[in-house]
Amino acid sequence: MNGAPINPAALRDSQYGVDPKYVVKRGADLDGMTSVSLKELIPDMPSVIYPNGRGVSVIKEETERALASVDFSKIRPGHKVNILASHHGFTFLGGEPYAEMLRTIRDVVITETEAKEVRLRAGLGMRFRETEEYIKAHGLDEYFEGKALGIAPIDAGIPIETKLGTLYGLRKAYDADVIIHAHNSDVREVHFHRQVDRAIKPFGMSYARCETRSTYHMNMGPRGANFVARAIFESDFVQDKYGFSIFMIMSPQGVVNVDADNDLYALNDRTTVGGMKYYGKIISLFGEIDECIAILDFPCPVPYVFSAGVIYANMINANIDLFDLDNPLPPYTWYTETFYDDHGQPLIPEIPPVNPAIKMVVHNYAWTGYPAVFFAEKTPTIVVGEEQAKHFDRDPMNLNYMKHALLARNLDTAMAFAYETAGTDKVIIFDGATGGLNVSASLAEHLLKVAPSVCDHVENTLIPRWLDQRNMDISLMRAIP
Amino acid sequence: MKMVNVHASVNEELCKGCKTCEMVCPVYAIRVSKQEKEFDVDIDPKRCVGCWNCEQRCPEHAIEMKPCEPYVLSTDVTQFDYKEIEALCRKTRFHPKQLVCYCTGTRAEELAAAILSGARTPDALVLATGVGAGCGIECNQPILRFLESAGLSFERKKQSFQWYGRTITVWEVPSSLREEFPVFRFGEDQELFDRIINAPVEP
Repeated sequence: MNGAPINPAALRDSQYGVDPKYVVKRGADLDGMTSVSLKELIPDMPSVIYPNGRGVSVIKEETERALASVDFSKIRPGHKVNILASHHGFTFLGGEPYAEMLRTIRDVVITETEAKEVRLRAGLGMRFRETEEYIKAHGLDEYFEGKALGIAPIDAGIPIETKLGTLYGLRKAYDADVIIHAHNSDVREVHFHRQVDRAIKPFGMSYARCETRSTYHMNMGPRGANFVARAIFESDFVQDKYGFSIFMIMSPQGVVNVDADNDLYALNDRTTVGGMKYYGKIISLFGEIDECIAILDFPCPVPYVFSAGVIYANMINANIDLFDLDNPLPPYTWYTETFYDDHGQPLIPEIPPVNPAIKMVVHNYAWTGYPAVFFAEKTPTIVVGEEQAKHFDRDPMNLNYMKHALLARNLDTAMAFAYETAGTDKVIIFDGATGGLNVSASLAEHLLKVAPSVCDHVENTLIPRWLDQRNMDISLMRAIP
Repeated sequence: MKMVNVHASVNEELCKGCKTCEMVCPVYAIRVSKQEKEFDVDIDPKRCVGCWNCEQRCPEHAIEMKPCEPYVLSTDVTQFDYKEIEALCRKTRFHPKQLVCYCTGTRAEELAAAILSGARTPDALVLATGVGAGCGIECNQPILRFLESAGLSFERKKQSFQWYGRTITVWEVPSSLREEFPVFRFGEDQELFDRIINAPVEP
């Protein structure tokens, strides 16, 4: 049954969050909190290789195993090679598994080829020094002999001719003879990619200039946008440089394995069905939470804080099935956000509201560097601690966040207000706990009660529909662990 | 509308003259020039919009954002006949009340008003409305689309990478791609946009 709360993920020293010393209490330390393991909720959750008690050496072994099937012949003596990475990978399990995968890729490429230089180019979102922080924290600059770099969407660009006309990549992503696409597979921003070409997306995002990102988020529509990355990837310019792809395959419990392929579309098929298989049930289960207080307590911006291996953006969208392509708009996506007027009213009636089950948000710790005002506008929000409020007031992306949020001196005060006002004692904590989720006893009981029927519905009704919408066969599902 | 509450300030002892700050400043507020043995970095406080781009990209960590007396960048929409605003927005394929910048809360109507007020370039739109002074990423195309649909032509500064160019919209996706890749549902998304754009403006 329910256990003691799981240790939450450690906070992180970052310019995007307040000094962790200001976080004097974590959500998991509140009275009445308990935990539920993912295995209890979803018995067929796949086994993971990490965390496993053996440390990241298992990631090294698994990366070497995956790379053994890759054809390195594109990399010739004297070539410069860029390993292209993304910030998201570092947000899993403290970041070290992804860092170890990147180190191992470098070592294997050097061993298998006579490449002149193997560099790390780590893309990012809107926090332009975030990957620099990870590079430093994981010693990657030393490991790559001074050739590890964070690349930002406002850095110098390079035009790329595509089926969609001219789009723009980042010059430093492509300043090599060969590129290696090193990413992760969790569904994460399914509100954006809708599990269509999820594995291709970084070509339109992490490795792309702001023109391309803006095309994705402003010009093309919530589903059509996903063709942007494919157009770039299939361009002659990228194909001329593309070597292979390697992904850390994630489930809500941790790292399932490492998968590598010269054929990105083959890998994309596997990650597409893997995402449905591993994440479809937990996200659907979140949709069955009838009421709750959500505590944000993880070193990432508001939509990216984790519970049960999925992000808060999945929770705020959980009232709609995002894998179902017949649903045009998620309750939260950047298209949806633009479709509300200055009075907060939807421009057309069919805009879905954000998940009404979230009665209140207690923002104990989350980062700036992502425009989050929509979240505070649409869901009553209490920010804990004056330092955190000041931090948001200085962020050019969040100058209006505190206009819509209340300020509480400490977590206990915030929770007392939340319980009183929200009228529920169901609490879910987005704190990065591994292997399960920290919740109140009442929510644990509810989740355990509804989980069997949710799992059955996902397995027998939803997954066949999701596959059918993508012209994918169920045999693909059976071929993955 | 954007409130500016910080300004960029440089520590010239750390500056190595790479000019990255010049290249990422959305309003060309920074000029780096070489003196005899060091670099002179001139930041125009009247133009600085407090976006943090220079601070975030300086490889030497030579720039600091310092609090300033807050002021607001905005253009008053009510100074124009709203029909003119509406016409330019819909021509650009935005609803007038549609958000074009998540960070500053700038709406399409304000970009239209700024252009009607005389803004002729991307940097002029940033200064007039604050758009582009947040993340500096997502509003890139709305800015360029508005200027283009207003019939304005402007040139990118050589060696500069504040912006490169307008890109495709869903209305321009070739029919061959629509037919070849139905999973991307271009037609349905275009219809969704059209319903938004043509929605009435509530007072």
